[in-house]
Amino acid sequence: MNPRAVVKDRAIVSSPGVALDVTRAWAARTLRARYQQSALGWAWAVVQPIAMVAIFTVVFTRFVRIETGGVPYVLFAYAATVPWTLLANAWSDMAASLVVNLNLVTKIAFPRAALPAAALVARAVDFGIGMVLLFALVIAYGVPVTALWLWVPVIVAVLLIFVLGLGLASAALNVFYRDVDPAIRLFTQVWFYASPVIYPSSLVPGQWRWLYYANPMAGVIDALRDVLLHGRPPGITLVAAAGIAVVTLVAGYAFFKRVEGRLADVI
Amino acid sequence: MTVERTSQTVDPAVRFSHVSKKYHLGLTRTSVAAAAWRGLRRAWTGSQRADDVYWALRDVSFSLETGRSLGLLGPNGAGKSTILKLLAGITEPTSGEVASHGRLAALIELGAGFHPDLTGRENVFLNATLLGLRRQEVLARFDEIVAFAELERFIDTPIKRYSSGMTVRLGFAVASCIEPDILLVDEVLAVGDAAFRQRCVARIQDLRARGTSLLFVSHDMGLVKAVCQEALYVEDGAIQYAGDTGETIDRYNRALDQRRLARLQQGHESPDAHGIVEIGRVEIQDGQGRAAREVASDDPVEIRISYTAYTPVPKANVLVRMMRSDGLSCFVLRTSHDGVPVALDRGTGTVSVSIDSTRLFPGSYYAVVWFLDANDANGMSRATSEWFEVTGRTSGIDHHDGVFEPDHHWRVAPSPPAGDELAAIEPRPHAAGASRD
Repeated sequence: MNPRAVVKDRAIVSSPGVALDVTRAWAARTLRARYQQSALGWAWAVVQPIAMVAIFTVVFTRFVRIETGGVPYVLFAYAATVPWTLLANAWSDMAASLVVNLNLVTKIAFPRAALPAAALVARAVDFGIGMVLLFALVIAYGVPVTALWLWVPVIVAVLLIFVLGLGLASAALNVFYRDVDPAIRLFTQVWFYASPVIYPSSLVPGQWRWLYYANPMAGVIDALRDVLLHGRPPGITLVAAAGIAVVTLVAGYAFFKRVEGRLADVI
Repeated sequence: MTVERTSQTVDPAVRFSHVSKKYHLGLTRTSVAAAAWRGLRRAWTGSQRADDVYWALRDVSFSLETGRSLGLLGPNGAGKSTILKLLAGITEPTSGEVASHGRLAALIELGAGFHPDLTGRENVFLNATLLGLRRQEVLARFDEIVAFAELERFIDTPIKRYSSGMTVRLGFAVASCIEPDILLVDEVLAVGDAAFRQRCVARIQDLRARGTSLLFVSHDMGLVKAVCQEALYVEDGAIQYAGDTGETIDRYNRALDQRRLARLQQGHESPDAHGIVEIGRVEIQDGQGRAAREVASDDPVEIRISYTAYTPVPKANVLVRMMRSDGLSCFVLRTSHDGVPVALDRGTGTVSVSIDSTRLFPGSYYAVVWFLDANDANGMSRATSEWFEVTGRTSGIDHHDGVFEPDHHWRVAPSPPAGDELAAIEPRPHAAGASRD
């Protein structure tokens, strides 16, 4: 921003309390609107991952054998599909959140970050339902519940921090370049195969592991499988994922704040 | 005074100091390819091309003292909305300083964020939150909002079932419940029916009475005059004139007249796509042909309409509707009903209608004028007069008592004696009617 341009006394618009209020209200609006006139309602939150898992299970237990380390393939795939669905849906929702609500951005002064944040919160609610179903499945398959489950909130936090950073940056960038939206869809497809959703990361050749784990989704999915299915603590790869997630959030937020003042002019 | 270039001891509610705002027109083409091409071209030609840049405001300075009201006048694209957007914090100045003190509410977009599938109640909370109200504040004001919008029965209905008028009412009710220190109003009152509009104006006046400073944008000069103490005439991103509202409106009107004349002389067909006739101003005059702000209900009044026709109109109809300030239509006069032919040559002129006496009850009124096509179907141009007061000897009248007092005569007479029939009735010595007076 031009150093000569000064705006004084904007405390109300930028107060964190208002930002949280707007995030909550907008997330509630998104959820209500999504499920208001739908017969299945909240069940839609888990229909998508369940359908994906059903397909994976047929393909990878009937046609192609995938070694899962003794875990039923359904559990193996579902434990990864739940966090993956959050990433894929939240990322694209967040990226579109400012552009879709153009009228708000150009007509009202409110903390802009609330829109992508609310998009994430709305998807995180779906994710929460998916996680509850995951716990139920794990117990139903007779996998013992251990103290390792206490790692789950940590793993979820890493995931949310990462997606928040990614989504904030994408939302702001999408305002300037609409190419972001189709690029995300393409990239998500590629990324899916670069993450251990349908296969175990142990299949990745040793010399490429370091690069493989530059993808924080790999660390998150592995950690979730470790604590829920394999009964072992998460590996060092979760730390790597956490580091990348924090850097992503800091950089994403900084970028967002930097361009925030110009959003209404460009959108 | 409105324009300040020196700093003040007491901070005004709003202060713009040398504010400029630049928009990059090129940035609307937001694809990598286009941006890259533009970058290459710019690198090739040297520097930024002037036609890529649009200055919405140039070095604008003014201040609004706490508790005062300021109108912004000017044609579309003059920079009025940019001033409000800068103040609201929607966008940032390119250079200069924008300062405000106190809670600010902007009525720029009514019902922002409304979702059709959500109920009125849900939308109230959503909209109020977007406008910066905390949840507790919304809860405390909820009943008041619903009552003001007159939507008690429908508040739990999804707003997709609302009429557009109902939606606007709800939007205004939320926005105006904020009780801000500074209120920005941008043309939002153009929507909604006249009665609701009047209640909005009353609400704004009410906030003003409680000390709210007001920045008001409207094309309705009468409304600006009724609401604002001072006004800025803004054009081409700069303040052309600043001063008392009446004087500023006059200056702006004169500028508009000159522009119409210039357009006419240059042979332009019409100023915009839909205007072949443009109403200049609508003036309320007394019996002597002087502009009047106050007219006695018994006195003659003349409504004088100046127009510019950009093409000859062989057959037109002029309609004058007298509105009470609460939006009630009191009467309508039409040239077509009265059999008065209206043929307009290319050029300027006036149409006036004189009324011997309006007989209207005391109150505030304004006239709405339409130029309609030959079939009375399509409006070619519309304008409103400033508000004026009708005075009269009748006092203690309120709006429930009616609209006007027609010419009338009272006669009080006892029934004449009529022979046998009356004789049958026993005369009563203290009959009430006869012995009064």
